[in-house]
Amino acid sequence: MTSPLFFKVAVFPGLTSIGIIIALFIWLDRKITARVQLRVGPLYASPLGGVLQSFADLIKFAFKELFIPRNADKFFFVAAPVLALIGGAGLVGLIPFTPEWQISNLELGLPAFLAFVTLSPMLILLAGWSANSKYPFIGGLRSLFQQTAYEIPLWLSAIGVVMMAGTMNLIGIVQAQSKPWVIFLGLSIPGWYIIPQALGALLFFITATAEMERIPFDLPEAEPEIIMGWQAEYPGFLFMSAAGASFVRLYAFSALFSVLYLGGWMGPAPVPALLWTAIKIIIVSSLIILLRATFPRVRIDQLLRAGWTYLLGLAFLNIVITYLLVVGPRI
Amino acid sequence: MPDIAFFGFAAVTVLGAILALESRDLVYGAVSLGVSFLGVASLFFLLDAAYIGVFQIAVYIGAVVILILFTVMLVGPAKGEGPTEFRRTALFIGILVAMMLGVGGALASPSAFSTNQPCTPECDLAQFSQSLLVTYSVQLAVLSLVFAAAVIGALTLAKSERGTA
Amino acid sequence: MEPLASFFGLSATLLAIGIYGLATKRSAIRILFSVELIYNAANLNIVAFARLRNPPLVTGQVLVIFSIALAAMEAAVGLAIILLAFRLNSDIDLRKMTRLKG
Repeated sequence: MTSPLFFKVAVFPGLTSIGIIIALFIWLDRKITARVQLRVGPLYASPLGGVLQSFADLIKFAFKELFIPRNADKFFFVAAPVLALIGGAGLVGLIPFTPEWQISNLELGLPAFLAFVTLSPMLILLAGWSANSKYPFIGGLRSLFQQTAYEIPLWLSAIGVVMMAGTMNLIGIVQAQSKPWVIFLGLSIPGWYIIPQALGALLFFITATAEMERIPFDLPEAEPEIIMGWQAEYPGFLFMSAAGASFVRLYAFSALFSVLYLGGWMGPAPVPALLWTAIKIIIVSSLIILLRATFPRVRIDQLLRAGWTYLLGLAFLNIVITYLLVVGPRI
Repeated sequence: MPDIAFFGFAAVTVLGAILALESRDLVYGAVSLGVSFLGVASLFFLLDAAYIGVFQIAVYIGAVVILILFTVMLVGPAKGEGPTEFRRTALFIGILVAMMLGVGGALASPSAFSTNQPCTPECDLAQFSQSLLVTYSVQLAVLSLVFAAAVIGALTLAKSERGTA
Repeated sequence: MEPLASFFGLSATLLAIGIYGLATKRSAIRILFSVELIYNAANLNIVAFARLRNPPLVTGQVLVIFSIALAAMEAAVGLAIILLAFRLNSDIDLRKMTRLKG
């Protein structure tokens, strides 16, 4: 029971931490959106700006009646959101928070992460279909179309990092960023890939936001258009796991972004490694949340056109730039 | 330990395959097909072919099964499921072919393939990429041309459908 | 590591299931399932032979990459044809597709 792997899977970075972090991200989401819109957001539930509000909401969801629509396909209606939550938790297991705090260190960590991410539109499509209702099904189909738009640029923008690091192992990618980029007036600028891979990082950020289905790209949910899309029919606990899955993926993708482009657990000041990871994850996820408060939702045809023209073209351009950066100095 | 893993994954693969063909609802069939593909991907991991396993998950489950689900949902799950026609000769031929292959495999395995070699340099990712991009580069280029042809073909089919409708 | 015979048996089982589906099913989508199962049986076989050979060979994995890519294309084109046939016949029962012209 006291083996370190058990501790990692059960407590950190595993299940307990994911549960707490979902609640914290929901709070962060509401608070940042509220501040941008000149509101206050959650306030009363604790002295710390209402942190406990989202915990209270989760408890409330857990006690609601589990209502399944009469003509719904019961198996997939229950299985799809639960599997989405479990799949999101599995993604977190691949992320190295520090070299020690990682559940499974795969040789092919980056492609494995991206491959497991491709499963989520299937679950959303099944969830939308199983509810046997119009809006959820439209949401599920939108998720499918959206995947064709973001999937290829997402993989291609990650290739730039693999080319520079020469490995697909996530710990190896972080260690490849440890060398300082330049030392200028005694001030060493760290060799994080956000500098040489600026274009790739931007593309990854955009396509990852599209993958998470957060607001500029939240077409499958689209509250004003198709009243929460694929989540429309879900009751209490199942809605919680459907919505929680999206926050778990926000967490996992912020962590992956900080590993790929921001040097993971490394930082210029002597602070514990885990703290650096936490700071970077909070910064990246706050940026993604800010997008929600800033931009209007795109239309599905705009997203498809952008994905197949601008994003794909820029991703190829990024590969060419990376090739020149990697091979150029050797010539 | 690998024995248990092998038999578990093999059971998942075979059960998924049978359910894919025999389940009453085509949507369940498509998802069982995905489970069967997942079993095959895990077997690739057992065979030290991790890259193939990841590729299998991304392409088969991430693309093929989703396309099939999409088609099934557009067609309507109940459509096109006529009564199963049990043709004994075809089944007999199938089982005969599989048995012959099985006997061939059993004969081939003890002599040349019963080894338990560690696979450090040969299954390496670098070796694999070298083989893919240097030795088989022409084949890779031809494959990409076939890809382009398939995309154009699928688009033409979709387009002509819109034209006649 | 399992000996080759067990991988081979599994692969032959998958092949037999696929041939059974091809022989008995009438729905075009089930036929496509069977074809994909047969592809998987072949891929598993190739990787198992390449890995359990003495010495192991990496060429099998390259071959399987090509095979998986071709299977994906085949599925895409096949599903496009099935959709087109459904639009024209409003059925995907292969025994009923007897007209050569839509």
